[in-house]
Amino acid sequence: MSASLAPECNEVKERYDNCFLKWYSEKFLRGTATTDECDPLFKQYEKCLSVREPISLVRPTHHHQKVLKERGIDKMVKEAREDNRENDAEHMKPVSVPSSPS
Amino acid sequence: MVKFYSSTDTYSYPFPAVTLAYFLRYPNPYSTHVLSTDTIARDFDPETQRLTTIRLHLKRSKLPSAVTKLLPRSLLGASASGDTQTYILEKSVVDVKEGWMDTESRNLEWTGVLSVIERQVFRRPMPEVPDEVKLFQGMEGAARRHGFLNFGGNGAGAKVGVDLNGETTEVESSVTLHSHVGEAWRKKRLAAQEGSSSSSEEEQPQKVGFLRSWGTATLQRNIEKIGLTRTLRSQPNAREGMKVVLERMREGGLVGVLEGMRKDREAILQGRDLLKRDGTPRAGED
Repeated sequence: MSASLAPECNEVKERYDNCFLKWYSEKFLRGTATTDECDPLFKQYEKCLSVREPISLVRPTHHHQKVLKERGIDKMVKEAREDNRENDAEHMKPVSVPSSPS
Repeated sequence: MVKFYSSTDTYSYPFPAVTLAYFLRYPNPYSTHVLSTDTIARDFDPETQRLTTIRLHLKRSKLPSAVTKLLPRSLLGASASGDTQTYILEKSVVDVKEGWMDTESRNLEWTGVLSVIERQVFRRPMPEVPDEVKLFQGMEGAARRHGFLNFGGNGAGAKVGVDLNGETTEVESSVTLHSHVGEAWRKKRLAAQEGSSSSSEEEQPQKVGFLRSWGTATLQRNIEKIGLTRTLRSQPNAREGMKVVLERMREGGLVGVLEGMRKDREAILQGRDLLKRDGTPRAGED
């Protein structure tokens, strides 16, 4: 699995990623998913990322939470969630499938 | 001034496998520059069966010397040597019913110098049959794909699954490059001329002089050109990376992919070059 930005979150990330991959391949892709079963693990992972300050190898002064806030990612995330909730993913639809010639 | 690159490609793998490979594409031997990948938001809508994911990647990169030469030291700061890292925000939506995955990645750092937005749309090819038949075949196809995505990593079954289907996935990629360099300074200068706040006066002499000698538009055009060259060079690596992941999936299912990733990650931590190809640019500047 890929590493987390915050090394101390690697473990909880791996637990979440494994859960997600199983759910994604066994339920989501088969169209039988009813809920996101891995959400409780995601919440733990999310908490690890936002509460604790990772010892970043590359940029010790930038911790994750700061990154999310500074870069406006938290806002983008919120918007994306609202988009999805409103089922307004119209702009994310693939561009025109060529229509059959008249 | 915007530079634009686009291409289309076809993967010889079924759509569900390609979407899974997209989520699992780092690390791979062509992406040793990707230091971390975190899922920061995920939303499943049971109504539409759409999955929205937002991930944050941290990539190590090297600013091209052509760029470091163009920019003033004050802007480059600690990255004057060219070594830097970039956060990439990736948003994806998968609609498994309609058979598409729409992805968009953008850099969060250096956007003032060059903003790069990469979009990839994966699509299950449309069968050329009437709607009612299509629906039926779609269901049948989904059933056949089950073997391929077996979590237990049943290698033989997975292989048969792919070969029997002969299914493909179309991908449309585009990259938009846009340099805003100099725009903020120009705005500041205009503001200063209009007699409004001149709090940043001490910053101005160097930058104004620098811009005068170049011209903002020329500078932006040059930076976009350099970005485009880099994009053209990195696209094949990105494609090869996906293909490595898909091949691992075909050979050993999900377990095979995870095992491959584990090895790649170890190699990256030990600083080994996974490709060992002389003269190849470091897999990485995508």
